[in-house]
Amino acid sequence: MKSGKKSNPNPSLKRLPRDMTAQALVSVALQSGDPYHATAVYEVADSVARIALDTVLFDGRRNALALARWEHTPPVVLQALARLNDASVRQRVQRNLGTSGQTLTELYHTENSDALVTLIAQHRRTPAAVLEMMARESDNDEALKAVAGNPAANATVLRILHARFPRRFDAAIATHPAASPDLLEAVYETGNEYTRAAVVAHPACRKRLLTQAALGGNPLVLRQLAGNPRIPPKLLARLAQSRTLAVRRAIAGNAMLTTELLTALAQDESVNVRREIALRDDLPPSVLERLAQDGDHWVRQRVARNPDAPRALLDKLSDEQNAEVRRAVARNPACPAELLEKLAHDENGWVRAAVAYQPKAGAKLMKILATDRAVDVLSGVAANPRASQLLLRRLAQSAEADVRRGVILNPRASETVLRPLLKDPYYLHRVLLLGNRKLKDEDKWPLLADPDNAVRFTAMRWFAGRVKGQG
Amino acid sequence: MKIMVPVKQVAALDEDFEFRDDERDVDEDFLLYDLNEWDDFSLEEAMLIKEKAPEGTVEVVVVSVGPERVDESLRKCLAKGADRAVRVWDDAMEGSDSVTVGGILAAVAKKESPDMIFAGVQSSDAANGSTGIATAAALGWPHAAVVAGLEYAPGANKAVARRELEGGTLQEVEVACPAVLTIQLGINKPRYASLRGIKQAAAKPIEGLSLGDLGLTPADVGAGVALSRVRRMYVPPKGRAAMIEGTPAEQAARIIEIIKEFKGE
Repeated sequence: MKSGKKSNPNPSLKRLPRDMTAQALVSVALQSGDPYHATAVYEVADSVARIALDTVLFDGRRNALALARWEHTPPVVLQALARLNDASVRQRVQRNLGTSGQTLTELYHTENSDALVTLIAQHRRTPAAVLEMMARESDNDEALKAVAGNPAANATVLRILHARFPRRFDAAIATHPAASPDLLEAVYETGNEYTRAAVVAHPACRKRLLTQAALGGNPLVLRQLAGNPRIPPKLLARLAQSRTLAVRRAIAGNAMLTTELLTALAQDESVNVRREIALRDDLPPSVLERLAQDGDHWVRQRVARNPDAPRALLDKLSDEQNAEVRRAVARNPACPAELLEKLAHDENGWVRAAVAYQPKAGAKLMKILATDRAVDVLSGVAANPRASQLLLRRLAQSAEADVRRGVILNPRASETVLRPLLKDPYYLHRVLLLGNRKLKDEDKWPLLADPDNAVRFTAMRWFAGRVKGQG
Repeated sequence: MKIMVPVKQVAALDEDFEFRDDERDVDEDFLLYDLNEWDDFSLEEAMLIKEKAPEGTVEVVVVSVGPERVDESLRKCLAKGADRAVRVWDDAMEGSDSVTVGGILAAVAKKESPDMIFAGVQSSDAANGSTGIATAAALGWPHAAVVAGLEYAPGANKAVARRELEGGTLQEVEVACPAVLTIQLGINKPRYASLRGIKQAAAKPIEGLSLGDLGLTPADVGAGVALSRVRRMYVPPKGRAAMIEGTPAEQAARIIEIIKEFKGE
């Protein structure tokens, strides 16, 4: 007994329609009966067409459940799914990060389950007005906790929560970006040391409170205070001399540090402080020089990445024994061409790969590195805008997916180089190419019949985007 | 020379799901089906041997026991280069345990006469890790389980398999052929099917075998002869997990306290 799968190609998928309209795309989706086509075209369909598309989308619970969960499902389809009389589908819609504020508002007004209301309270797109209603009316502890931690909550929501439940949500309020100076002050007064520490780290914390907090001497609070760029200069200088390592480390990362202070901290006994200093982008040459001689290779590596590092310093660091430091020199945006040429012949593949990714590396270096055997080096050449089309054409045929992806992501790759990659075995590569404007619509159209759901969806979404706003 | 690769279409779950009314499995609407991950590696191992050998001398046959939906996974194997695909099914097989499925695969092996059988170590959904070994037992063939490295030339009368054991150790064993090997993840790098391969696979036939074709009867398979059966499937009550409240610094401090408590400091 043998059974062959009957191929039943949809004739509408064979050729790009002459007249590309929303109606033509809806018609393709209806003929294919593919829920991923229907999902992609739903937004541009009119209300009558949507009724027809619903029959494709919601034919069977499996489809509805899968689409309600899928991260690419457009908000307008999630809204339609939310209106189905199915609690499991609704739950997935409430969890889906793409669900719109409007859908979440509609769901909130019809939802009775505490667990599902909590999902709405957690959702980043829930409008502040809904969160405000919850803050005013709800007694569901989990939902209220979610409201307090939701970045979409505004100052009013936080104020209501604090007024209704003093102290219960202090920790969430102290770390919430929308907390007002008044509220932060109130929370500071009643909060524990952790809450106080969070308040003094908050960008809206009043300067008066920062000075007051410094008097307390609590190391946890001082550490957070030290990182706040709004602390007064005198306090900054005092904290730079703190005996507590964590405080000095936080100061080392403070954007308002003076040259004098950062010069002093560059000689700190703790390697953690020196590493933090080495990360800064405002280091004078003398400090860079000193840090380049540090015994810790992480410190030297950070200096090697600094675009202000003088040429002589980069020369020296490029001879380092530690490959991570040499790699950092190769990644430095200010690394001169001669050094890149030297590092292109480095024994370590990661160093050569850093050169291959360097936008400053010239065509000659690209040619040399394209003969390398290491996949990371070849991927770097493939992604480098300085690589010639000839090299890219060759790399596009690599057996390594990472190398082919480099070509796909290369902004200079030509249509001729990219077109064969529309048949790449890796589905994500086909998805990426669908968004590339160098490729023609007629080359993209066949991907509507791709075996992968995400590719078919992205292809139809591309064409739906072309007709959007046509009226 | 022929390598038989038994494959399974496994079911994956999302975080939210419902059980069937009989509480013995998850409601099918919530299941997502795909080729078992381990079987991707066993197929690749067979394909590597085929590609190293002179063209046309090694045949790779994939076999699966299951209903029509399993064709999708078999076509995936054909798209990756398997020469033939065989699906065995009869409604009487519903409820068969892994030992019975091993017996069915052994019956297919008797019909196909492969030189080697490469199965996956386990399936990601049932995780019994026994189907490959049960096949070897039913055939009376030698076997090596959890194979992480293989030296085998087509037609050779022995293979050297490196078995993965605990603590990162490997055990090198010599196995007389024909044999059943259960292949471990990471032994190779499974390929993606090319679009051309997928198109060609869509037109290739999938050979269907019934109980009668294998010399079996309904009395040999199914829940009735299963040595084990699912009584109930459920989500156990939550253990000692607790949400740690407070600011990030407060949460970090509490985690340090908990670690110290566990270490007895």
